[in-house]
Amino acid sequence: MSTATLSKPIKSSATTSGEKYLTFALGNEEYGLEILKVREIIGYMEITAVPRTPSHVKGVINLRGQVISVVDLRTKFQMKEVEKTEATCIIVVEITGIAGRKLSTGIIVDRVSEVLNILPDNIEPAPEFGGAVNTDFILGMGKIGKSVKILLDIDKVLTREEQTHLAEITGETQPV
Amino acid sequence: MNVLSEKINDLVTQAAGSRPDDLQTLANIHTQLQSLSALPATESLTELRSSSNRLEKLAEQIVLREVEDAEASLWQLTRGIAELQLLLTNDHPSLPITPSIAAAPATDPVSVSPPVAQPPTHTFCEDQILSPDDLPLVQDFVSESYTHISTAEASILRVEDNPADIEAINCIFRAFHTVKGVAGFLNLKQIGFLAHSSENLLDLARKGKIQLQGSTLDIVLAATDAMKELVARVAHAAQNQSPVVADPSVAALIDRVEACARGENSNAVNPLTQRVKENTSAPAAITPTAHTAESTIKVATDRLDNLINTVGELVIAQAMVAQDSSAILTGEPRIARNLSHMGKITRELQELSMSMRMVPIQGTFQKMARLVRDLAKKSGKEIDLALVGGDTELDRNLVEAITDPLVHMVRNSADHGVEMPDQREKNGKPRAGRVQLKAYHHSGSIVIEISDDGRGLNKEKLLKKAIAAGIVAEGAALSEADIFKLVFHAGLSTAEKVTDVSGRGVGMDVVKKNVESLRGKIDIASVEGQGATFTIRLPLTLAVIDGLVVKIGTARYILPILSVEQSLRPQADQLSSIQDRGEMVMVRDTLLPLYRLHRLFNVTPTTEDPTAALVVVVQDDTRRCCLLVDELIGQQQVVIKSLGDGVGKIAGVSGGAILGDGNVSLILDVAGIIDLASGSPIC
Repeated sequence: MSTATLSKPIKSSATTSGEKYLTFALGNEEYGLEILKVREIIGYMEITAVPRTPSHVKGVINLRGQVISVVDLRTKFQMKEVEKTEATCIIVVEITGIAGRKLSTGIIVDRVSEVLNILPDNIEPAPEFGGAVNTDFILGMGKIGKSVKILLDIDKVLTREEQTHLAEITGETQPV
Repeated sequence: MNVLSEKINDLVTQAAGSRPDDLQTLANIHTQLQSLSALPATESLTELRSSSNRLEKLAEQIVLREVEDAEASLWQLTRGIAELQLLLTNDHPSLPITPSIAAAPATDPVSVSPPVAQPPTHTFCEDQILSPDDLPLVQDFVSESYTHISTAEASILRVEDNPADIEAINCIFRAFHTVKGVAGFLNLKQIGFLAHSSENLLDLARKGKIQLQGSTLDIVLAATDAMKELVARVAHAAQNQSPVVADPSVAALIDRVEACARGENSNAVNPLTQRVKENTSAPAAITPTAHTAESTIKVATDRLDNLINTVGELVIAQAMVAQDSSAILTGEPRIARNLSHMGKITRELQELSMSMRMVPIQGTFQKMARLVRDLAKKSGKEIDLALVGGDTELDRNLVEAITDPLVHMVRNSADHGVEMPDQREKNGKPRAGRVQLKAYHHSGSIVIEISDDGRGLNKEKLLKKAIAAGIVAEGAALSEADIFKLVFHAGLSTAEKVTDVSGRGVGMDVVKKNVESLRGKIDIASVEGQGATFTIRLPLTLAVIDGLVVKIGTARYILPILSVEQSLRPQADQLSSIQDRGEMVMVRDTLLPLYRLHRLFNVTPTTEDPTAALVVVVQDDTRRCCLLVDELIGQQQVVIKSLGDGVGKIAGVSGGAILGDGNVSLILDVAGIIDLASGSPIC
């Protein structure tokens, strides 16, 4: 298993206040998620498909002896699938699931960019698009110079419909 | 003599390094002094004995905070111990007792520290608030107390069998004593008082002044129970950061214990036997006990699990390296040799890490001993419980999971199996019934047997009940094993009257379910009038199963070997279908439905033609079916992993396992697959 294969080292821009976000790309769009949620970043690896799961759940991988599920963020956001490249990464995040339980999940992204410090002043609320785009899971839009990063509330991204959907096929979790 | 001087040297070192608030060390010093004062009463050692006795009292007072100036008393103690050393090394038994020892309050053993011995019972019967600083200490106290209490319980049962077992009495004494020490330190008054009064009583027993049997033993047992309850209250308080709720019934119990210690309600022992006892007790006191010898540390289970995971990963990584480099290494014997050496170490490491989760079943067995004793008392039966193979080790999780089923089964044996003493005599059996718990390893699994020599199972009665309950059709021919299995049916009890212990017909079905959820099996053998034996077979650990790895397209799945009957490549004439859809295979003259796994799981197989593929016959309980797979890869032991909350529970999949190449493979759940394929409701 290859660990932490980043195309370039993560650059951190330390400032006195504001929060740090890990930014990554899906196509031309730049996204960010709170750095405290990130456990590690690993290179793309073979994923074992799990039958009878929603299409964005790509399957499970072995993370040093622990089996964790992997979600394709492109499929989740209803973007078109692309070929996996050398830069494709799995970001392992720790989210708070049903009943406040912590769980690790991998998310597949096209490319990991950098760690940015974004001041609260530079974060705007997400615009409304009506029913066309669901903006519930967007924390806000972070402005860095001229570019815009879409800051995700990763807990909501991975848990909302997912868990309602999962609840349909899920009984209780399997004890080990 | 060498042993003795070593002991004292040790004491000197410990005393020199101790502080008034270092309870552990002080308690150690105290225990060692205790063993010194219990030395054989030969003339040369008289001084040593009496000095240690006094020092022991002093140490106890320091631990219990009964002295005004702890620092000064500790200094006294340290000097006293140093003088003990002098006494011995000079081989000068008549050395006068130095003022520091003499200054220590010499109290009569029976009335140790009078202010505690007769506490005004109501003053401490109030709720107590734990200081937040003490919280971590309290948690340690709780877990240690539980250990001590269960040790005490086990010893009490030993004393019941053999009232002269001084080692066991000492063991109970020590348990109460340690709990008292720490409770005193944490200012847990109720526990302290209860432990103190019980300890006084036990001290008398230790000295042979009273005998621990009958009602006296019951009182000690009651004190143990009350102690457990009090500790539970402390644990509860510590968890919720609430005050410790006092137990009002404890005061009465303490009174009883004290009354017993004063000789009311206890069996007097005549002086002659007492002397004999003292003589036998002396050598026992200096032999080191099993409990103090073992050095252990406590580790959080998740750390242990982490270690096991990491080592598992190491094994996989090692296997991958070995595999990848095997081609390159043909000309490099040195590297190949080193690599195989590393492989060996890795495997050893894995075995070692797995063994760390293993605990002996003794603890669970001891709980049963207590249960049987109480049951026997309540029902007026006489039951001997034999525990065999208590040191058989099994996975910690398994121990926890098996306790409840065992309780049910032991209750059953004691309550239904064993008859009343008179009845037994009439049947020509000894008055005391025998229940045996036995554990052993057998061909890769753990076997636990619960047997009794009671009345056994009544086949006719069982069958009649089953027919009446509509479980079995009238006139059905059932084998003996099948009839016995009816016991596991919910709502079927052969007991004529329902007691508060058992007989409601719930229980055995739960037992069966529990055992099966642990991937175990349960069998019954019984001869009417002679007893019954229940045999539980469990896998060594919950974490590992034997699996058959199968391949469909590129996906690999694991079928638990327990549910696989056979595999075959079907001939065209074995296949038939209904309406071109419902496919069936004729296997040994039985028509079995054929399910295509690739359709259920939506993967692309290499072939759609069953005669070119393989069929695996699987069974779940009574249901059998055939699964179509591309090929069999082999049989291997795999470690079961949860798929994590991220995907949750998937119908037909019971978990995941990491294969040799580091990839995850899904473990199939045959029952789920049959449900899925036959369209019966799943969720």
